[in-house]
Amino acid sequence: MLFQIQISRMKTSNVIWVGNYSTVVKRDPVLHWSWKSELPLECATHFVRMRSRVDDAKIPEPRFWSNWSSWKEADAQKSLGRDPLFLFPKDKLVEEGSNVTICYISRNQQDNISCYLEGQQIHGEQLDSNVSAFKLNKVSFIRKTGTNIFCKVDQKDVIKGIVLFVSKVLEEPKDFSCETQDFKTLMCTWDPGTDTSLPKRSSQSYTLFESFSGKKILCEHKNSCNWQVDSDSQEMYNFTLMAENALGNRSVSVLFSLTHRVHPKTPYNLFLKNVSGTKATVTWKVHPIGNYSTLLCQLDLLGEGNVIQQHNVSIKENGEYLLSELEPDTEYMARVRCADANHFWKWSGSISQKFVTAEAAPSEALDVWRNVKSVSGHPTVTLFWKPLSKLHANGKILSYNVIVENLDRPSRLEVHSVPATANGTELTLDQYSYQIHVTALNSAGPSPASVIVVSGDPGNEEAEEERINGTEDGFSVSWKPQSRKAIGYVVEWCDHPQDLPCDLQWKNLSSNTTSTVISSGAFRPGVRYNFRIYEISTERMANLLEKKAGYLKELAPSDNPQVVVSNLTSHSFTLSWKDYSTDSQPGFIQGYYVYLRSKAEKECHPGFKKATLSDKSACCQHRIDNPEQKTFVMENLQPESVYEFLVTPYTSAGSGPVDTFTKVTTPDEYSHILIRIILPMIICVLLIMITCYLKSQWMKEKCYPDIPDPYKSNVLSLIKSKENPHLTIMNVSDCVPDAIEVIHKPEGSKIQFLGASKSLTETEFTKPAYLYLLPAEKNYSGPGPCICFENLTYNEAAADSGSCGHFPVTPQAPPSQPGPLTSPENLLKALEKNYMNSLGEIAAGEASVNYVSQLASQMSGDKDGLPTNPPEPVHCSEYKMQMAIPLGLASPPPAENSGLSSTTPLDQSEHYR
Amino acid sequence: MKVLAAGVVPLLLVLHWKHGAGSPIPITPVNATCATRHPCHSNLMNQIRNQLLQLNSSANALFILYYTAQGEPFPNNLDKLCSPNVTDFPPFHANGTEKARLVELYRIIAYLGASLGNITRDQKVLNPNALSLHSKLNATVDVMRGLLSNVLCRLCSKYHVAHVDVAYGPDTSGKDVFQKKKLGCQLLGKYKQVIAVVAQAF
Repeated sequence: MLFQIQISRMKTSNVIWVGNYSTVVKRDPVLHWSWKSELPLECATHFVRMRSRVDDAKIPEPRFWSNWSSWKEADAQKSLGRDPLFLFPKDKLVEEGSNVTICYISRNQQDNISCYLEGQQIHGEQLDSNVSAFKLNKVSFIRKTGTNIFCKVDQKDVIKGIVLFVSKVLEEPKDFSCETQDFKTLMCTWDPGTDTSLPKRSSQSYTLFESFSGKKILCEHKNSCNWQVDSDSQEMYNFTLMAENALGNRSVSVLFSLTHRVHPKTPYNLFLKNVSGTKATVTWKVHPIGNYSTLLCQLDLLGEGNVIQQHNVSIKENGEYLLSELEPDTEYMARVRCADANHFWKWSGSISQKFVTAEAAPSEALDVWRNVKSVSGHPTVTLFWKPLSKLHANGKILSYNVIVENLDRPSRLEVHSVPATANGTELTLDQYSYQIHVTALNSAGPSPASVIVVSGDPGNEEAEEERINGTEDGFSVSWKPQSRKAIGYVVEWCDHPQDLPCDLQWKNLSSNTTSTVISSGAFRPGVRYNFRIYEISTERMANLLEKKAGYLKELAPSDNPQVVVSNLTSHSFTLSWKDYSTDSQPGFIQGYYVYLRSKAEKECHPGFKKATLSDKSACCQHRIDNPEQKTFVMENLQPESVYEFLVTPYTSAGSGPVDTFTKVTTPDEYSHILIRIILPMIICVLLIMITCYLKSQWMKEKCYPDIPDPYKSNVLSLIKSKENPHLTIMNVSDCVPDAIEVIHKPEGSKIQFLGASKSLTETEFTKPAYLYLLPAEKNYSGPGPCICFENLTYNEAAADSGSCGHFPVTPQAPPSQPGPLTSPENLLKALEKNYMNSLGEIAAGEASVNYVSQLASQMSGDKDGLPTNPPEPVHCSEYKMQMAIPLGLASPPPAENSGLSSTTPLDQSEHYR
Repeated sequence: MKVLAAGVVPLLLVLHWKHGAGSPIPITPVNATCATRHPCHSNLMNQIRNQLLQLNSSANALFILYYTAQGEPFPNNLDKLCSPNVTDFPPFHANGTEKARLVELYRIIAYLGASLGNITRDQKVLNPNALSLHSKLNATVDVMRGLLSNVLCRLCSKYHVAHVDVAYGPDTSGKDVFQKKKLGCQLLGKYKQVIAVVAQAF
């Protein structure tokens, strides 16, 4: 029977689907047919009706449709509760990329409802007043735990939600294949692809179906399945693998012959036997496959991870192979895998075994070089050699043997053993030629000897240095052969010329080579590399041929020389930087720039040109093209001016830093002249002063002795000759003391005297007793109140003036004593008065005896002559009071008293004594 | 009220296991003597208080972990989706006698234990990677199991109460996933609210 079915939505007239369903109808049949609605059935009423027709070829045409059945209504909304909002479908599971329709039913038409998917509002289509539907096209997988979709009624606490589960697409199994290792079991494997499992939904399952036998098994694993081979009768197999989950299935098939799917098991018992330096025997076993199967085994020999040899061996069960052409003392690995020799399908797993071949004597001579230098007059040879490569060492080097043979004087050979860790040794020789043999030793024996001849006389090791340019590849070095006897050449250099040791390197070159490229990973820009080319003679002696120097890349100098300023004058100064080494710079120094700037001068001197510095300031620049010229004279400068200069070297890459200028101030133009005059004068004065100081005693005695010798006085003779031929020098014996003054004062008055000098007038003073020793002539009317004698040596000035001038008597007389002091009383009074004043002045209260000495100043023969003219200024000598005073009160020392006799400027009154 | 066998039965078996376990909890006759399998802890009330405090201190973190793991719209609509309006939740009167409070506590913890068991089971399926949430749910259920045992011990030893009628929350096994998430969130919100009151009462 054929059934035609119509489905309507919302109303019967709205037919949304028409389809046919054909089935065999038996008696009392209950037929089942299902239809999946895209729109959840809860959201809309659906109607269904059908009609039927005979669908049997036996029944001839025409076949007529029955009448339509009545519409049957499916209304799920009636069974819903009274909640204000419903959202459908719940927990829907769909495949990624499919379309999904969701809908909500609202009980209140007035409610404003908004729906969201992953936080984003979604907009749908209103099916009727209460129902809206949202169509989600090509939904994507977000997470296994599902996606919340919710709707909420605005301004009400109502949220309804559903969870949509989107599954990954079920993939077709990939790489499906089956194979056997023993003709008993077939193992089928595949790549399952993406896991489609979800919460509450298990992952996809796999079923294996073999069409020839009709057997079917459910696989336990997601990526493999074991199939039991029942008998030898079935050769061909047709397998279908079907993957299935809740949303669908995928399948893949494979057809094969069992004998073409043999995958042997991994070989076992791999051993190495009879391992020598160059050979080894490998043995292994395999699991047998059937009775007549032959396996093809592949034997690989690996060294340092690379396949060195590969051999194929056909075996039944036991395999053996002799490996040859091995290197001594080398680690190898033997690896074996096998496959079916008749129908190759797959290699088995591999088995491998490491082994090390035995040692052999080193196969190559050492590469030896030497450096000869003289230490304390003895030539010292430093030998260097490069370690033998693993290929040539043939084992672990235990030591090096150095044998030294004197070529000039036959003698015993010197044998030196050098530890294996060393790459050289040092030998002290004498002035002979030596042949040196160097060999490397391992446990199997020595290497061939490396021979080098060293002359005790280094000879002329100098050669002119040439400059070469470096490139990215290194230094291109070429040379001119000097003799045809050369058996080779050696180029020598240091990888680190600025270090000690400098890491000497050398390169051996054949005799027909005249150029080479020296390259090294150690070469750096801005470092000067020196190359020496040696010619190796037939006697194996090295002779210096040429010297080269170059930079991989020249750099601008990084430092400026230390410049010394000298010969500074008002118009010039000299700059010198003789300590600057041009050899240790980051490039060949081509010359120097001398910069000069001055605020005083705007124009540049001849030889200079204007230049602008990096800071935009202007200065003058002079270029020196000779790198060996390390002095420069700045001329034509202004006196008393400030100049700034800078000297910077330059290479082909540029000049040094132009940063710090040095200031120089030119001196005044005349200052040097002043210095030439003033300085000698100062020196002369100093010399005179020093001489005077050193001869001060002599000068003093000559010019102004403490006690002048009147007889030595030139004045005397002068006076004698000019004025008074009778004038002679007074003898001491001619002096007659004229008075002794005895003072007695009571103790009580001492305090008064000590109190203040002014109180003396108010105190009753005991009048001292005087013993008057003046000459008997009471009416003596001398030339004044004092007695003078003339000591011309002592007071030349007085002698010249003819008067002492210190005693103008009249105006000095106190008013209380208006009378002349010619009488003894007056004189006594005057003396008394002045004496009392003197006591007060010097506080001589302790004194008990004073004496006044007046020396007769005149020669006896001249007594009458002198006072004859009283009004005239009296020629007088200074009159000195001599007192016995206590030591404590005698403030001026006696020497000073004597010195003061002529120079102390006393008051006029104090001269009255 | 439905009893959720899958989540509750293991809990009840542990709590009430004895010879012949597996049968329903017998209703103790009014004058029947109460016997415990092990002597009760000497400082039982203190133990109960500490367990309540422990539950109270972790309740909020558990709530946050839960609603965060459910994804939108839960974290931003707590008032609509996680409001603690669980209608059949056992009552608690803080001013009652100790006996009455212990009986009410027993009912609450039994209710919560069963509900948390259901939530734990659901979350292991719905959020298999939310290990922190699973751990905290398990820890809470463990503490509740010990608390229930202690409360029963106290009731039995001091008040000779051997049986308390308990009620359990709604069975969520037949609910859709969104509804399960919502019910779990409401229950944990209610738990956070109630446990604070109960801990304060003891």
